[in-house]
Amino acid sequence: MDRECCWDRDVITLADCPETGEGEEDLLSSKQQRILEKCCECPRFLDELKQLAGAVPPNPLAPVLATILPEFLRQKAQIQSLVSFLDNKTLEIRFLHELGSVLQSSVDLDEVLSVAMTAITAGKGFGMNRAFLLLCDREEGMLNGYLGLGPRNLEEARRVWGEISQNDMDLQTLAQNFRDTKLSSEREKFHDVLELLTIPLSNKDHIVIKALDGRRPIMVQGVFQHPDVPPELARLLGVDDFLLMPLISRNRRVGIILADNCITHRAITEADMHSLETFGFPVAFAIERASLYDKLQVELNRVTEAGKKLKEQQQLIVKMENMALVGRITSSIAHSVRNPLMVIGGFARSILKNSPASDPKRTFIESIVAETRQLEGVLDEVLNYSDSLYPTCDFWDVDQLVEASLRDTADALALLNYVTGYSPGLTLPPVYIDFKQLSYCIRTMLLNDIQGIGSDRSIAISSQSVEDGVILRIEDHSRHITQSELDHLLVPFSEPRDLGAGLGLALCKAMLEKQGLLFEARADQQTGIMYTITLPTRKEEQS
Amino acid sequence: MSRLLVVDDEANIRLLYAEELKDEGYEVVTAGSSAEAAEKLQHGVFDLAVLDIKLKNESGIELLQKLVKERHDMPVILCSAFSCYKDDFSAWLADGYVVKSSDLSELKQEIARVLAKKALKVKAGT
Repeated sequence: MDRECCWDRDVITLADCPETGEGEEDLLSSKQQRILEKCCECPRFLDELKQLAGAVPPNPLAPVLATILPEFLRQKAQIQSLVSFLDNKTLEIRFLHELGSVLQSSVDLDEVLSVAMTAITAGKGFGMNRAFLLLCDREEGMLNGYLGLGPRNLEEARRVWGEISQNDMDLQTLAQNFRDTKLSSEREKFHDVLELLTIPLSNKDHIVIKALDGRRPIMVQGVFQHPDVPPELARLLGVDDFLLMPLISRNRRVGIILADNCITHRAITEADMHSLETFGFPVAFAIERASLYDKLQVELNRVTEAGKKLKEQQQLIVKMENMALVGRITSSIAHSVRNPLMVIGGFARSILKNSPASDPKRTFIESIVAETRQLEGVLDEVLNYSDSLYPTCDFWDVDQLVEASLRDTADALALLNYVTGYSPGLTLPPVYIDFKQLSYCIRTMLLNDIQGIGSDRSIAISSQSVEDGVILRIEDHSRHITQSELDHLLVPFSEPRDLGAGLGLALCKAMLEKQGLLFEARADQQTGIMYTITLPTRKEEQS
Repeated sequence: MSRLLVVDDEANIRLLYAEELKDEGYEVVTAGSSAEAAEKLQHGVFDLAVLDIKLKNESGIELLQKLVKERHDMPVILCSAFSCYKDDFSAWLADGYVVKSSDLSELKQEIARVLAKKALKVKAGT
């Protein structure tokens, strides 16, 4: 028999077998492989098999072969289908692995969202045309349209998909690219849809809320006729069907993804839905983790800030304790000095009182009295200075403060022929001050013994309400010194004695600064001295 | 002649007060401690007491509280080296408060003021 078929030859050429082509040269010298792969489907071989069955006498193996062959072909096709299925699953697992790695390694919410949205819309991912992400705000009871991704029209789709296929980027690079260049513009682009997709969680009739509450994906078909889809949303989306995939993490509703094929209009399949469902869990978990991390970061910043403040407070307490110690020492020394001083000065006065005017020793005793008085003055100031270390602030009325100070100094000023006047500002708010210290400061400014008294013995006080404070001005028209002389008086223990002032003004400055109040003293040799104090109306205004 | 009780732990200050107040026409009895003051008060009647706030290991404020309770008809003037006690609530029980000074004018004026007030009160009572 002259066989057309080459099945029984050990080695053949490409021309011998119509089923073998370029690239399959290895089959030419492998008879067994060739029979398994090619001969079973080769018409020449099948013809020869028929001839074999019809031969006389008939070959007994021919009907056996005829039975085995179709079953072999069926099983071969099934294996090929399974291999193809496994290949697809392998690709899917690889993709999910890549996605999972990215999602698990990130705590940045924008990065997580970029990866998730890119995965849904990328051809290498789930290949949906467009996706919207909605996030739950449990405190506000809202589901907020947060992000949209995808083309809005065919032209844009061609351009974007063309760019992606040209660059052949992996998922992570695509997501990074999206995050860096498109995140905010995509939000802006889908602003109208995202606004419509901002829905109260209490709106149980809305299809999106139904999917979220049901915690299962829903494939919405016949969108325009669907009773639970608001017509405005259907119009804006412009698709017949879309997929809703709730994002649930540990039984908590994180948000929902709405995906559709607005450009290709490819029907969404059950397989799409199941793939996305698998993907939904890690995404929900990653979003929640990133959100928690954000919150944690905020809390951490707060704690850090609180720690910083606590440290400052501790330092302040240590400082105050040191100051308190200084205050106690000062006070103790002052007390120890005051009693002997009082005895010396007191007896000197007594002797002076009882000595005749002609007594030559009177001058000496007068000196003792004068020096004692001077020392007692210094002592009072030192004690006041140590008191000034601890201001006790509260809200006080400015008019009450000024009027009390004027009342206390009225007699002394009248003796010196001074005229005082107070012009209160309109509707002054209460100020947060240490009343006792402020009162002392005003009295000191009114009664200070600065020399250079002119003929105009008038002091004008005025108050004026400003933003977050009240400005108090004391204009003493009687004292005429230079600014540098006044500045000198404001430094504790460095005053030029010939100017006549003690620690008073420096103490005032220290007290006011201690309370965190703005204090300014301006001297003009022609017009006198003007003191300006800004009194805060709020606690926070003080340092 | 008004009788005054001066309580101060410093002997020289007691002497100074005694001399100066005698010159003003008062009869002055002095005590260096609370116990001594209590003893003097037991054996005599006083029109006014001048108390130092810081006595050795004792508080003049406590003595003041005791006097207000037991001798409420006898006014008390506190005399101290510290001006801060003036704002102390417990010191407000006193009829007067004077910061110690070698110039006793303020103390003398305060004694005169408080005694005059007491006299007016007695007069009003009778």
